Amino acid sequence: MAEIETLGILDEIQALVSDKLQVVSYKWLSRNFLVPSNTAKRLLQEFVEKNGTQLEVVYSLSGWLKNNPSAYHIKLILGSKLSEAKEEFSDGCSIQVYSVQACIPKDPAVLWNTEYVQAEELFKEPPDVVNCLRDNRFCGVSNSYVKRNGEGPPASSAAPPLKRVEICAPSRTSDTSLRQERKVEQSNPNPKPDEGKDIKSGSHQAQALKQDGKPVVHKEQVPQLPANKKKTGNDKSSSGTAGSLASMWGRASSKPKPDSASIKTENAVPISNDAQVRANELVEDESSDGDDGRMNFKRASNGEGSNRKRRVVFDFSDEDDDGKDAVNLASPDPPKKQVSVDSKKSTKTLSLESKNLDFDEKKEEKVKVEKEKVLEIVSKPTLKEESGDRKRGNPASNENQCPDKDERNQKDKVSDAAQNVLKKRKVLKTRIDERGREVTEVVWEDDEKETKPGDNTRKDKGDSNTANNVVNRPPAAAPKKSPAFGNSSSHATGKAGNKKAGTKDPKQGNIMSFFKKV
Amino acid sequence: MLELRLVQGSLLKKVMESIKDLVNDANFDCSATGFSLQAMDSSHVALVSLLLRSEGFEHYRCDRNISMGMNLNNMSKMLKCAGNDDIITLKADDGSDTVTFMFESPTQDKIADFEMKLMDIDSEHLGIPEAEYHAIVRMPSSEFARICKDLSSIGDTVVISVTKEGVKFSTRGDIGTANVVCRQNTTVDKPEEATIIEMNEPVSLTFALRYMNSFTKATPLSNTVTISLSSELPVVVEYKIAEMGYIRFYLAPKIEEDDEENKS
Repeated sequence: MAEIETLGILDEIQALVSDKLQVVSYKWLSRNFLVPSNTAKRLLQEFVEKNGTQLEVVYSLSGWLKNNPSAYHIKLILGSKLSEAKEEFSDGCSIQVYSVQACIPKDPAVLWNTEYVQAEELFKEPPDVVNCLRDNRFCGVSNSYVKRNGEGPPASSAAPPLKRVEICAPSRTSDTSLRQERKVEQSNPNPKPDEGKDIKSGSHQAQALKQDGKPVVHKEQVPQLPANKKKTGNDKSSSGTAGSLASMWGRASSKPKPDSASIKTENAVPISNDAQVRANELVEDESSDGDDGRMNFKRASNGEGSNRKRRVVFDFSDEDDDGKDAVNLASPDPPKKQVSVDSKKSTKTLSLESKNLDFDEKKEEKVKVEKEKVLEIVSKPTLKEESGDRKRGNPASNENQCPDKDERNQKDKVSDAAQNVLKKRKVLKTRIDERGREVTEVVWEDDEKETKPGDNTRKDKGDSNTANNVVNRPPAAAPKKSPAFGNSSSHATGKAGNKKAGTKDPKQGNIMSFFKKV
Repeated sequence: MLELRLVQGSLLKKVMESIKDLVNDANFDCSATGFSLQAMDSSHVALVSLLLRSEGFEHYRCDRNISMGMNLNNMSKMLKCAGNDDIITLKADDGSDTVTFMFESPTQDKIADFEMKLMDIDSEHLGIPEAEYHAIVRMPSSEFARICKDLSSIGDTVVISVTKEGVKFSTRGDIGTANVVCRQNTTVDKPEEATIIEMNEPVSLTFALRYMNSFTKATPLSNTVTISLSSELPVVVEYKIAEMGYIRFYLAPKIEEDDEENKS
């Protein structure tokens, strides 16, 4: 059996040296394949005998020097200089293969780099993990009086003492060591995750040992956890980066606004992404926004990366409102919850808000011709408009996605000026907020017949005034639209708005916070 | 009276090219010791600090300290009119609101004068304290520029981590991720090709690649670049200007995600 496995290892060495260009030293070999160091040296010797011509060999010579007999010397010598070096030693020096590699590295440190890294990893393992460094089981030098606490702390030492004794025995051949290994593992009825890691870290271990099912299962389980964690982490950061990337593009392009508005419809691409994905993105974006609860940076995820823009969506009622709104905006929850928050609101705020709205829209009319058109079409009192929005704005409904295509077409018509047929109308609202950012909102107007979720509808119809403001909040209406519609809206904001917003990337530190003015 | 004569005129051109994208307007401060500039980019995220010591000039006369506000784009336009081998002389009279660039061809058979209007700039001069950095990486500047360029095609931020294994540049974008590791390598034939890592403790910081990329515009000034990192400080990307001084870029790190979450 030992023969077979050594053959396997020789192949592995071949692959490591010639394909990965790794320096394979006997220490590394011993730890990696869990063979005693002497066996590892022999393996290397064997390997060198077979393939010696194609690779560089570093020998370790140890013995007494001729010219300095008082000191025991250990020298690493290139294969080519072996014979000269031998001269320096007195008779009886030992010659062992230290390492094999494809070529001699310029920096000698590379010789022991891999094994150093390996040793470090082994040391870093939790203290209760048994590894070959801890119990020194592969060392060629052994002392039977030294008891190796091979199985670590009592927690995992379910193994009967007999086995410990076995482990204590000096392990000279790969055969015995392998057997021990296996026993250690089998004797552990409940390998802990840590131990699983142990197995994992010696990547070839499992292979070499041909373990039975149990440890393998654990091996699989253990990696899963970290993988998942990582994944979520990745998602977050990736969404974060995408956002700021968009902002940079936004900075770069500074087309006049009318242009972007007209491009709107052309660029809009029907999207079939499922709502779930978008919802996730929204959630992530919101959670990473930190800086201001009332502001949402939205990532419009359309198929075409180049169209991605960061979008700033502000709540209508922001100006006079407080914490409640912030909660609303930031919460990724479906509208139901918001409704509950709504009920707390007083009608007073509502009226205030509606005034604000009026103001915004006037401003906007000045700015954009197209918008004016749309507004004319709508030509309802602001409040009603809102209620329309509200009903439509239903984050949970996937139906929104399908109608979107139609709407886009219809949108075109709108700009042509044929309209009353429309079931939904898109209204762009742009204003400058108190921070000087330009904020564009896309609001859908549709007929009352449009599907509404139970809660929202009830609210709307019942206390039309009160409900209005809240349901209208971006989490429901505006953000929902943004994905489907993303291009248009984000274009508008992206160009002008992001120029400023980009510099205010909430994550970007400011140099002024590090250096003081003189 | 100010008169600076720089035989290697191309050097000033290169300096200009390296900072004009980052900074629009800046005050050039001239004193007896040298010609210097400190300016932040418009978003106050990056800072550039330039020093050309008086010894580097063939002739250096600065009677009293003077600060000249210039639009770097305009200055760059003027300097583009100078040939690469030209000798450039900068002249300004006390109390004057213009600066004159004089370009002499190496054979002295052509002399050009360009007068540029100065401007008043409210500069916010920052004190940059001397600091011990956790890690200092010196590497070929072209290599660094290449890495920044490559990574910026993948993502928009770069995480620079220094461990004793080497320095790792990594990014993540919509299309995937990228990691570039540079190992310490001191045994190359030419010293300027070496990658040298001095590390007191491991450090890992995130930066906007956009700025890094604009820093690398200074690559023609020096074969090597020195990147100094500390977890609590802006990164310093320094290009030495042979025998004259340096150009240093400071960039505030991006705040780590975790911190952000904790805050919010």
